[in-house]
Amino acid sequence: MEQINYKDEGQFCSGHVACAGCAEAVTLRVILNTIGPNAIAVVAPSCTAVICGAAPASSVKIPVFHAAIETCAATASGVKRALVKRGKDDTTVLGFAGDGGTYDIGLQSLSSAAERNEDILYICFDNEGYMNTGGQKSSSTPLSASTGSTPTGKTTRKKNLIEILAAHRIPYIATASPSDLNDLAAKVKKAKSIRGTKVIIVLIPCLPGWGIGDDSAVKVARLAVDAGVFPLFEVEDGVRYSLNNNNKTQPVEAYLKQQKRYRHLSDDEFKTIQTNVDDDWQRLQQRVDQS
Amino acid sequence: MSEQSSHLWSDRTTESRMTGTWRDALPDYRNIPAPCLGACPVDGQIAVWVRQVLEKNYFAAWATLVENNPFPAIAGRICHHPCETACNRANLDEAINICGLERFVGDEALKQGWKLPKPETTSGRSVAIVGGGPAGLSAAYQLARAGHQVALFEANEQLGGLLRYGIPSYRLDKKIVDGEIARIIDLGISVHLNWDISDDAALEKLRDQHDAVFVATGASLSKALPGLDANQPWAVDSADFLAATNAGKSCDLGEKLIVIGGGSAAIDVARTARRLGRTVSVLALETEEKLPAQHTEVVEAKQEGIEFICGSMMQSVSVEEGELTLQCIGVDFIAGKTRGAFEVKPIDGSGFSLSANTIIPSIGQDADLARWNNFFDSAGQVLQTDRNWQTEKPGIFAGGDVASMDRFVTQAVGMGKHAAIAIDQYVRHQEIAENPSLDPETAYQVINTAYHSRDARNDAADTDVEDRLKTFKEVQQCLATNEAIIEAGRCFSCGTCIYCDNCYFYCPDMAIAKLDEGYEVNTDYCKGCGLCVAECPTGSIAMQEEQ
Ligand SMILES: Cc1cc2nc3c(=O)[nH]c(=O)nc-3n(C[C@H](O)[C@H](O)[C@H](O)COP(=O)(O)OP(=O)(O)OC[C@H]3O[C@@H](n4cnc5c(N)ncnc54)[C@H](O)[C@@H]3O)c2cc1C
Ligand SMILES: Cc1ncc(C[n+]2csc(CCOP(=O)(O)OP(=O)(O)O)c2C)c(N)n1
Ligand code: SF4
Ligand code: SF4
Ligand code: SF4
Ligand SMILES: [Mg+2]
Repeated sequence: MEQINYKDEGQFCSGHVACAGCAEAVTLRVILNTIGPNAIAVVAPSCTAVICGAAPASSVKIPVFHAAIETCAATASGVKRALVKRGKDDTTVLGFAGDGGTYDIGLQSLSSAAERNEDILYICFDNEGYMNTGGQKSSSTPLSASTGSTPTGKTTRKKNLIEILAAHRIPYIATASPSDLNDLAAKVKKAKSIRGTKVIIVLIPCLPGWGIGDDSAVKVARLAVDAGVFPLFEVEDGVRYSLNNNNKTQPVEAYLKQQKRYRHLSDDEFKTIQTNVDDDWQRLQQRVDQS
Repeated sequence: MSEQSSHLWSDRTTESRMTGTWRDALPDYRNIPAPCLGACPVDGQIAVWVRQVLEKNYFAAWATLVENNPFPAIAGRICHHPCETACNRANLDEAINICGLERFVGDEALKQGWKLPKPETTSGRSVAIVGGGPAGLSAAYQLARAGHQVALFEANEQLGGLLRYGIPSYRLDKKIVDGEIARIIDLGISVHLNWDISDDAALEKLRDQHDAVFVATGASLSKALPGLDANQPWAVDSADFLAATNAGKSCDLGEKLIVIGGGSAAIDVARTARRLGRTVSVLALETEEKLPAQHTEVVEAKQEGIEFICGSMMQSVSVEEGELTLQCIGVDFIAGKTRGAFEVKPIDGSGFSLSANTIIPSIGQDADLARWNNFFDSAGQVLQTDRNWQTEKPGIFAGGDVASMDRFVTQAVGMGKHAAIAIDQYVRHQEIAENPSLDPETAYQVINTAYHSRDARNDAADTDVEDRLKTFKEVQQCLATNEAIIEAGRCFSCGTCIYCDNCYFYCPDMAIAKLDEGYEVNTDYCKGCGLCVAECPTGSIAMQEEQ
């Protein structure tokens, strides 16, 4: 068994108000401790913002700038430029946002930052919906998932943000999961060492939003990876794809059946989702093969 | 900092917020017994020593093993391994090769000449042991370790009981028996060979001379087969036959042999005769699937060219010019409620005959209790004891085949150990404590199998059949070091913390602290989510509800 091997330096503190069992807190812990003290985070309104804490108490040891939801990437760009101007080139600037703040509301500012190849590390905590406002759909919500605003299931597929970002030819894009903390830490470390715009999308199973048990977030994230619903991979310079988990070992049903948001699914819908996942997987394989 | 700016700038961490108040259950580190432990007759700490093998700390593994069983090299070869039947890993693919690993460690210890630790204290009490088989030797070992003087009386000229005179060398090399017994005797046990405690008077004398006595004389009398005159020259006693061949003596056998019985002993007789160049058939009441012998023994016997005639019974024998004709019939075998009890129903019209020169019945052994007829009141198939292995006579304990129908080597070793614990208390004039009952075992469902690799079970290869039949060399071989390590890595370490830190890293609230050894939950912050429990690869933590 592979030991989890990053070092917790106390960069993320107890007493935060993430839901009991939240995998976002688990991944924040990895990210903050891997980045270390020489960093500033710009945080969009989201669960992350709530977890980092409202003034005067903060759960993170680095400075946090709470930006507007539209402007996370733009604000991070500005903070980085200001630091450089003051000779602090080596300070990492992080952008933290949810999927609503990334796939939807903040997409414009992220696209612009990426186009300019701003030197920021942007992390999207993708829980597939507007979760801290009660669980509405976002463009990251997958096909057929029910949310507060799609009670009978979403009728369109999840937006493929990776391909959008790849089209910007930024140096580094990666997906990560709380079920593989070493992989997450390695990707954060790698991203930190690269100059330019880096984006890591972390899958965060939302306990109330997805309808799973307090102890199940990691298990569900693992199933998402194993079923190929959320493959772990990296894209360098927008063209070089590499897969970190080479095989799909579970049917999507094993993943979907864990979650109340898919409880209403018919057999046909299960099949459709399986077909979509298989197609996407094949397309991803082709990209990997072509790289 | 001004009043206003304190709303803009954080000046403290969230650590002042006690999120522990959210909780209704708290994780509890409890080291839960593995199912293999519950099944093991000697209470072997399998999860612990298998992990030590994985860490390549073979000496530590051996030291853990010999806490409960001084015979790992022997048990690793011939234990009936109920642990493997209980192993949680079988739910994923195949059980851990526990016996193979035990043999690996046991053989390493003999190779390296590791010695058992000498007792640190002397109690000034003495215990007599009657019978130097696995039960007697196990008790002698445990009592010597506890600091008692031990006098061991053995009727035969060498120690070992059925390890030496029953189980054939091709399954258990006698050098292994010698090595593991010598280590025990080295602890300072006084051994009296060729010393038969033959009657009531001899036993009574032992009781008078010692603080306690442990009777472990085994079950030496072959059960008689109905319809067979055991006094005929063509009928050979199975125990005598095995004892003779094990001692390297020859035996008068015909060319064509029929062994009657379906247990391990019958198969040992058959395979031994096969190695002496005879043509051998085994005739058993049970169907092949129901044979009491272990499956691998049957497979290996068949590979060696032994014919099995199952679901059949001999009815009579006739003799003509040295040729025997056995009249047989097919039967339905119906197992009874208690061990060894059964019923057979002959099937009409299924009669057949077999020819042979020698018959060896091997249908079980009885304990020889007649010699102590006037000493023990309670009669029965075996010596009657209470749950602490004490007989009706205070200070006289009994275990192994003489006191139980659980007729296996490690059962005997376990009884010797448990009796020794009771004897220790008895000779120290303490109240004999009941064996503590184990907590519920680690269920397969609490093992997070995502953390366990998908390697197939490693079994050592057997010797080729042609080579087997030429000698009495061991059939089963030892796992190579790399195979043993891979095999040890398959173990889930059920309920046994391996200090992997998963619980520590998966806590979203940093509520688990690492101690020098183990972990501590910080109740100020633990929200009771159970993620630490869910992501534990070994099932060593459980949520405990709080009021
Ligand atoms: C052929 C055969 C194969 C077997 N194979 C296996 C196997 O593969 N795996 C397994 O687990 N079990 C096997 N068994 C069963 C196993 O051998 C016994 O259950 C086990 O040996 C019992 O141990 P024990 O110490 O009670 O008795 P024993 O091993 O019989 O030892 C009793 C000892 O007491 C001595 N003794 C007897 N009477 C006296 C007396 N009056 N005074 C002094 N000494 C005395 C005897 O000489 C002997 O040394 C096999 C049995 C047989 C017969
Ligand atoms: C322009 C704007 N619209 C709406 C909001 C209210 N709001 C705050 S957080 C949030 C949800 C964001 O969802 P997501 O980015 O997915 O983050 P999550 O809560 O799921 O972590 C919304 C709608 C806002 N802050 N700004
Ligand atoms: S997996 Fe290991 S600890 Fe668990 S039952 Fe099997 S041998 Fe025992
Ligand atoms: S993971 Fe942390 S918060 Fe959750 S139950 Fe375990 S110790 Fe408590
Ligand atoms: S997660 Fe690892 S360290 Fe924690 S109790 Fe389980 S085995 Fe021990
Ligand atoms: Mg979201």
